[in-house]
Amino acid sequence: MEKLLKELQYADLHRQTRRHFLQSAGFGLGALGLGSLLGSCGASNAGTNVSGNAAAAKIPQFAPKAKRVIYIHMAGAPSQLELFDYKPELVKYHGQDCPAEFLEGKKFAFIQGVPKMLGPQGKFAQYGQSGAWMSDYVPYLQTVADEITFLKAMHTDQFNHAPAQLLMHTGSARLGRPSLGAWSVYGLGSENQNLPGFIVLASGGQQPDAGKSVYGSGFLPSVYQGVQCRTGGDPVLYVSDPSGMNRDMRKQTIEAINEINRQTYEDVKDPEILTRISQYEMAFRMQMSVPEVMDVSKEPQFILDMYGVKPGEGTFAMNCLLARKLVENDVRFVQLFDWGWDGHGTSKDHNVEGGLRQKCRESDQPIAALIKDLKMRGLLEETLIIWGAEFGRTPMQENRNGLVMPFMGRDHHLDAFTMWMAGGGVKQGYSHGETDELGYYGAKDRVHVHDLQATILHLMGFDHEKFTYPFQGRNFRLTDTEGKVVKQVIA
Amino acid sequence: MLIPLLQASPWALFIGRFHPVLVHLPIGFLLIAALIEIGRRTGKISVSESTVVFVLFWSAVSATFACIAGYLLSLGGGYDEDLLGAHMLKGIGVAVFAWVAWIVKSDWLAGKISFGKAVYLPAFAVAVVLTMTAGHDGGSLTHGDGYLTQYTPEPFRSLAGMDPIQEKAKEIKPITDVQQAVVYKDIVQPILEARCTQCHNASKKKGDLRMDELALLMKGGENGPVLVPGKGAESDMIKRCLLDESDDNHMPPKGKPQLSTEQIALLSWWIDQGAPVDKKVAELTVSDQVKPALASLGGGSATGGAGGAKQKESAIATLKVSPAKEADIQAMRKAGLIVNTLSQDQNLIEVSAVNAPKFSDKDIALLLPVAEQITWLKLGGTQITDSGLKEIAKLKNLTKLHLEHTGVTDQGIAQIKSLPHLEYLNVIDTKIGDAGLKNIATIKGLRSIYVWQSAVTDSAVAQTARQNKGLQIVNGFSAAEVAQFLKAGDSTVTKPVATTKK
Repeated sequence: MEKLLKELQYADLHRQTRRHFLQSAGFGLGALGLGSLLGSCGASNAGTNVSGNAAAAKIPQFAPKAKRVIYIHMAGAPSQLELFDYKPELVKYHGQDCPAEFLEGKKFAFIQGVPKMLGPQGKFAQYGQSGAWMSDYVPYLQTVADEITFLKAMHTDQFNHAPAQLLMHTGSARLGRPSLGAWSVYGLGSENQNLPGFIVLASGGQQPDAGKSVYGSGFLPSVYQGVQCRTGGDPVLYVSDPSGMNRDMRKQTIEAINEINRQTYEDVKDPEILTRISQYEMAFRMQMSVPEVMDVSKEPQFILDMYGVKPGEGTFAMNCLLARKLVENDVRFVQLFDWGWDGHGTSKDHNVEGGLRQKCRESDQPIAALIKDLKMRGLLEETLIIWGAEFGRTPMQENRNGLVMPFMGRDHHLDAFTMWMAGGGVKQGYSHGETDELGYYGAKDRVHVHDLQATILHLMGFDHEKFTYPFQGRNFRLTDTEGKVVKQVIA
Repeated sequence: MLIPLLQASPWALFIGRFHPVLVHLPIGFLLIAALIEIGRRTGKISVSESTVVFVLFWSAVSATFACIAGYLLSLGGGYDEDLLGAHMLKGIGVAVFAWVAWIVKSDWLAGKISFGKAVYLPAFAVAVVLTMTAGHDGGSLTHGDGYLTQYTPEPFRSLAGMDPIQEKAKEIKPITDVQQAVVYKDIVQPILEARCTQCHNASKKKGDLRMDELALLMKGGENGPVLVPGKGAESDMIKRCLLDESDDNHMPPKGKPQLSTEQIALLSWWIDQGAPVDKKVAELTVSDQVKPALASLGGGSATGGAGGAKQKESAIATLKVSPAKEADIQAMRKAGLIVNTLSQDQNLIEVSAVNAPKFSDKDIALLLPVAEQITWLKLGGTQITDSGLKEIAKLKNLTKLHLEHTGVTDQGIAQIKSLPHLEYLNVIDTKIGDAGLKNIATIKGLRSIYVWQSAVTDSAVAQTARQNKGLQIVNGFSAAEVAQFLKAGDSTVTKPVATTKK
């Protein structure tokens, strides 16, 4: 009987995935309710959890050092050569033809023929006790240099945005795998019962190229998918009361609907009905909790100044402030996307000079503020901040169609790029890995995307080789068959 | 199928590893057969001859299988050749003589061989004797020569003409003056002896590599040299240590005591410096990376701080408790608390009241049945007061305590200063003042206190931090400090914050 029930619940979850959840963030939130519902059905949470109870946690292999994550993804991929990876040699080669050995057997997204080398555009110096190299593009981040661990020799397998973003967030360049955030909530559970465990905030005017799949739940129950909240206006559409209806009336309405649903359930015993009941209940709770946590008007002025936000704006800076508020309210995983970092040199907004400087101006201060704000609230040592993009940019100047570009730009580069982490169990003021003199290849301590994922899971307490979910006849992991924990960056 | 089996294939090794299991069967069977035979012949017991023959048959069969498995195991290599050869011959001898003893007594041969009777007892006796000597050789192969008698006590020790007991080098002794220590003899060799030479020594020689003498270490093993003087990062012995523990090529093998990060750093540094035999620390270039590792040799722990040094491991790594009772956990969950087990091997739990803002002093009774197991406790934003803290002082394995946005005061906080393992305390937005801070700072292992928006003054923060090295006291920003921070973006002010290192 219990097997049959589980089977039903499983089938139910799959129907839900297709019919309702992927379409609408609002309904995705309702999926959380599914959790408590199925828990109350008596489904066991032990072992492989198919009950879909988002609050139920697995027991990690090690005590977690990072209890929460804020993942800042700069969609489009900023140039590491302008921000963190200081290559004085590259200055000398500026304007010269790219050496043939860099081009042999290589494919680029846009570069054709023999491009010219492009020297770094930023002014670099070392900052903090740790002597971290940073450029004048990021003057605020310089002030928190000693909180950061840099990964200077990252590399990936994909040179186009969407597959590279998928690889970075789901461990596979193809669709269908759960994202890092989904795995995190699946593993450690969701803490605040009034908020989703995995919240996504996007800025920059466009969604990431790979779409919602970068924060999807893949084959995990859909309660674990990222719920995108809007930053301006209603954070979640359709959860506020319609005009002319007060909260009491809304409550009575929902209670009446739920009562009818409950009676129907008594008749037909379809678990789908229970799902619907709890979706209503969750949505009702969220009417209160989400606007409250997303409301920054009660923040003191100097905190708003520190991030550089004005209430009502839907900017990246606002998202940083919201990220702080969300982790303060025990949201497990907050994913920020900021679009517009694709500096090919095609326009005044998309290049590695003025365009990149402008993107840095919008994001540098709030990121530094976020680190400082988390620190003074005692949250930084439990919260892992990850900053990075889907890949890096070439040391060569882009020559799309063999032409000279109107602005200085760089093409997508998968062999070497920089990411950084701070807080939650990583070393303070440390730099791991080096690239060669021209910043083309990782020369020492290279870290693949899967290695990074293995390391993040490790910090959250999970052995990436043992943290699996059975699907279609085999156990799947975030890192699939790859990945080595980068022990050197762990504090 | 058979040919790959006879090479050192995974199959061969898989079957080979059963040798230590199988090998005890013929030993037991043969001895039992011998005992029965003696008992029978002395008239102590009445057993038919067929019983003895039956047991002999199975002795021979199991000895044969043990021989096959043993041969496959030996393909893996790493054993002392001479000892291995002797062990193998004796082992095969056991099987052969057991078969001979059985054949001359078996139903279809007993009558046909005239000299059967004469052969039976000698063959049987030889098999038994060979079993014992082969067994001893086997023990020497696995545990090392002289293992059996290593701890022979006096007076038998001197009677047998043995040297006095030598304690094996186990853990590394602290070095009093690190600067004057000879790098190879005082630092490298003790690490190798503690972690490597159990398998890479004269009698075991795994991978044809010996690490018990510098010359032999330099020679390398079956995969070539294990160290490249001057290039630590490229040396096989360092690379293997750095591999993931689950990797097949990782050393020491999974499950054996592992080298610490500091130990690897020291070995790597020694190789970087050209793997000298007699140089002292003071004579070599000491890089920043190896400094904390060298400092740890002095017995004291390396201090953390800049340069990405490792933090001291949290006390939770060493706390071991029995599992909490499921009923107690359910009672807490029913009250709206989140209860999670921290990790699979420790049974410690975290409890969070994030969904129970009404949690108050009287609810603390729920925590007491699991007082030993709770190590992280989050009561931020609850109704808890000073009288609740008195009970919380009973949670002796507490390492992390969140009391932010609560009504606790200095009086309450004084009650928890007896918590022996507390590492993290968050009292932002409380009435805690300077007295409370100074009181709580006396907890030895405490690493961080967060006091923003409390009544703690800046001067008390500075003073307490000075008095308690290793304790991080974090106060938050005021509007003035934010204004200072905002200046970072002013391009005229942008200057390197600190001078460069290295």
